[in-house]
Amino acid sequence: MHLPSNRSPASEIREVRCVCPGCSLACVVSAMKNPGAAESRRLLGLLDGALVREARLWKVPVFKNGRIQGADISSSQHQEMILWLGEMSRLFQFCPETFALGVCVLNRLLSTVKAQPKYLKCIAFTSLVLAAKINEEDEVIGSVKDLVVRSGCSFSTAELLRMERIILDKLHWDLYTATPVDFIHIFHALLVSGHPHLIPSIGLDSGVRWDPAPEPGALPASPGHQKRPSDFQAALWTRQVQHCMACHQLWQFKGSTLALAIITLELEALTADWFSVVTDLLKRAQVDSVEFIHCKEMVDQYLHSLEFSLPANAIYIFDSAQIQEQERACSPVQHLWKARRGRGGGGSVQGDSDEYYDGFRCLYDDEEVNQGAEGGDVKHLFDPQQGKDVSPCPPLHPAVN
Amino acid sequence: MIVDLVRSGLSPSGSRAHWFHTLQVRPRGRRGRSNSDPLGGTGCEGDAFTWGPGLQFRAAQSYLSLEKLGEGTYASVYKGISRINGQLVALKVIHMKTEEGVPFTAIREASLLKGLKHANIVLLHDIIHTRESLTLVFEYLQTDLAQYMTQHPGGLHSRNVRIFMFQLLRGLSFIHQNRILHRDLKPQNLLISYLGELKLADFGLARSKSIPSQTFSSEVVTLWYRPPDVLLGSTDYSTALDMWGAGCVFIEMLQGAPAFPGVTDVFEQLQKIWTVLGVPCEDNWPGVSLLPNYRPEWFHQSEPKQFRAVWKRLNQLPHKTEDLVQRMLTRVPTDRISALEALKHPYFSTLPPPIMHLKDMVSIFKVPGVRLETEVRDIFNPGRRIKPSLLLPAAKCW
Repeated sequence: MHLPSNRSPASEIREVRCVCPGCSLACVVSAMKNPGAAESRRLLGLLDGALVREARLWKVPVFKNGRIQGADISSSQHQEMILWLGEMSRLFQFCPETFALGVCVLNRLLSTVKAQPKYLKCIAFTSLVLAAKINEEDEVIGSVKDLVVRSGCSFSTAELLRMERIILDKLHWDLYTATPVDFIHIFHALLVSGHPHLIPSIGLDSGVRWDPAPEPGALPASPGHQKRPSDFQAALWTRQVQHCMACHQLWQFKGSTLALAIITLELEALTADWFSVVTDLLKRAQVDSVEFIHCKEMVDQYLHSLEFSLPANAIYIFDSAQIQEQERACSPVQHLWKARRGRGGGGSVQGDSDEYYDGFRCLYDDEEVNQGAEGGDVKHLFDPQQGKDVSPCPPLHPAVN
Repeated sequence: MIVDLVRSGLSPSGSRAHWFHTLQVRPRGRRGRSNSDPLGGTGCEGDAFTWGPGLQFRAAQSYLSLEKLGEGTYASVYKGISRINGQLVALKVIHMKTEEGVPFTAIREASLLKGLKHANIVLLHDIIHTRESLTLVFEYLQTDLAQYMTQHPGGLHSRNVRIFMFQLLRGLSFIHQNRILHRDLKPQNLLISYLGELKLADFGLARSKSIPSQTFSSEVVTLWYRPPDVLLGSTDYSTALDMWGAGCVFIEMLQGAPAFPGVTDVFEQLQKIWTVLGVPCEDNWPGVSLLPNYRPEWFHQSEPKQFRAVWKRLNQLPHKTEDLVQRMLTRVPTDRISALEALKHPYFSTLPPPIMHLKDMVSIFKVPGVRLETEVRDIFNPGRRIKPSLLLPAAKCW
């Protein structure tokens, strides 16, 4: 992450009035103090801009029989390559946005040209270097030659530069796109500014008092609070999205859909109030709900298979070995039931269950038509009794405090 | 008064022929949108096209290099001509370091400009990329603001300042809406056409700030035009960065001299600023003491001064001019006026109203009544005197 070392609570609080992209804590403070219409407008503008760029430039290779259509690259080769890019990005201390942009460039190229497997690594690495040239300040990038040496790759700088020319040419120098990581940041900021009541439950409130009008004299006394608590959540989601970008089943989803799926999974588990929040974001991001549900399931599956979803105290406990097979046959409704089971526990949640259920019905309407074969009354799936034989895992909050 | 004359369509006698004598004189009216068309548009198109049958974009032989216009650290700029359509172009030939590939400045400039089409942003026509060289082909503009100010020393005509400022802010407002920070505003990077169209150029340091809470290097913007928050080491700057630079350019156009010039390091630069605005403290800038370069003891204490006392030209102009400058040259970045707000400032209320509702690609010179005034001083034409009758009302106007 690209955290400034010299951030002060006070300077962030000044940002509250900022009309320009500011920091997310400012959004929190602003949202707490006043619902901040201007701030929401700004963030929605940011979201719209990102959606436009995504719509214009988002492109991923099509897989047929486990291989990229027209090329001899298998999905597992591709996946390995993206994981390796993640390693490289960490090695060079690039920020997650750079990794994400590099992957977007790689995917766009692979969907544009027929690449041979022997060039795959060079293409991937060059994509990352291009992303760094765009995204990182020049003091971070260092020399290209040095990057090649540190990567341990066998290709020469000359090859890399030739590839650079090819990529720029094939993509018409049009490299600025909105990545899944960008969407994580934007949705996160929208959440904290638009739904301040969620802040305690999504781990944004770490007990640090952020007084918007502090005594000037008191300021220098609190330099320890420079790392913003809200960053923690965004950083966690960013890590999750980076992992998901390496999963070839998840490439087919746009970054906006993927980011929203990750955030929704977390909100579901952490707050009883997630549904209205998510529908609001879905609408704003113009994400197709069928695709969204599909994506959310796959993300859930994938993150659990990685045993990654949250640090230390994970929210759901699943038998990850069984998930792979089960999920394929699993209908969205069953899946939600599982999600609910995970969230359950608190008695107060029960009273609201009908409301949630109606919500699901809305969301899943299209799905159910397709899944007509399942037929019958799906309502029984939501019967609280059903969950009795499985011991519900109490919802655990992330270890922020 | 001049405003009234122009509005009623009675331009001062004799001024029309040399209304912008500093550059080429050319009949108005027949011109298309582009100002890089040396052959004057439709009449010569036939000729132009016979030049290059089969010539294509993205090919080096499609452009003819004419004369060198300038040399920078990362590129040389040549005047050129397109053999495809006969248009004048500016060829920015990027110095390629064999080991590093395409410089990040070129990648950012090209990929950012790809998405930016606006009357006040320089137009990128073409990119020619070979193994040995990289050339960005831009529309050709005759001069830049730095040269223009050199040619017309002692401050520009106040009405021209308004026209240039409006265009500068219009361009900034557009890129800021697109979440792009220019990060290198200075007169050299503001290109000017013979008509007076101003366009933002040199996006080599520009960045897209497309996500909240993104931070950047504080080593940006030529020192003279760098805002105090960034001089103090702030890295979470945003669009207010460019607004400070625009404020400095504003003063420079009025005064004919840079607002905060002639220093070598960050601390001297800050002292220059504090001399006018006063040394900040937590009371008037909460959080300032936490910025890395904040060392109040290193600065001579100075009280804020009236801008008109520092920059004398402001004394001769209506108060709203000083008011806009003050809103741009504000120490606390979040208090600085935005480009969009600045366009709505009363300072611009004397411009014809349709100017506020133009489409992105439409030049303000399409609006009737918008034109550049003859500058009072011109080093290329020192003998020339403006009729006293013209000068007097103008002076009163100030």
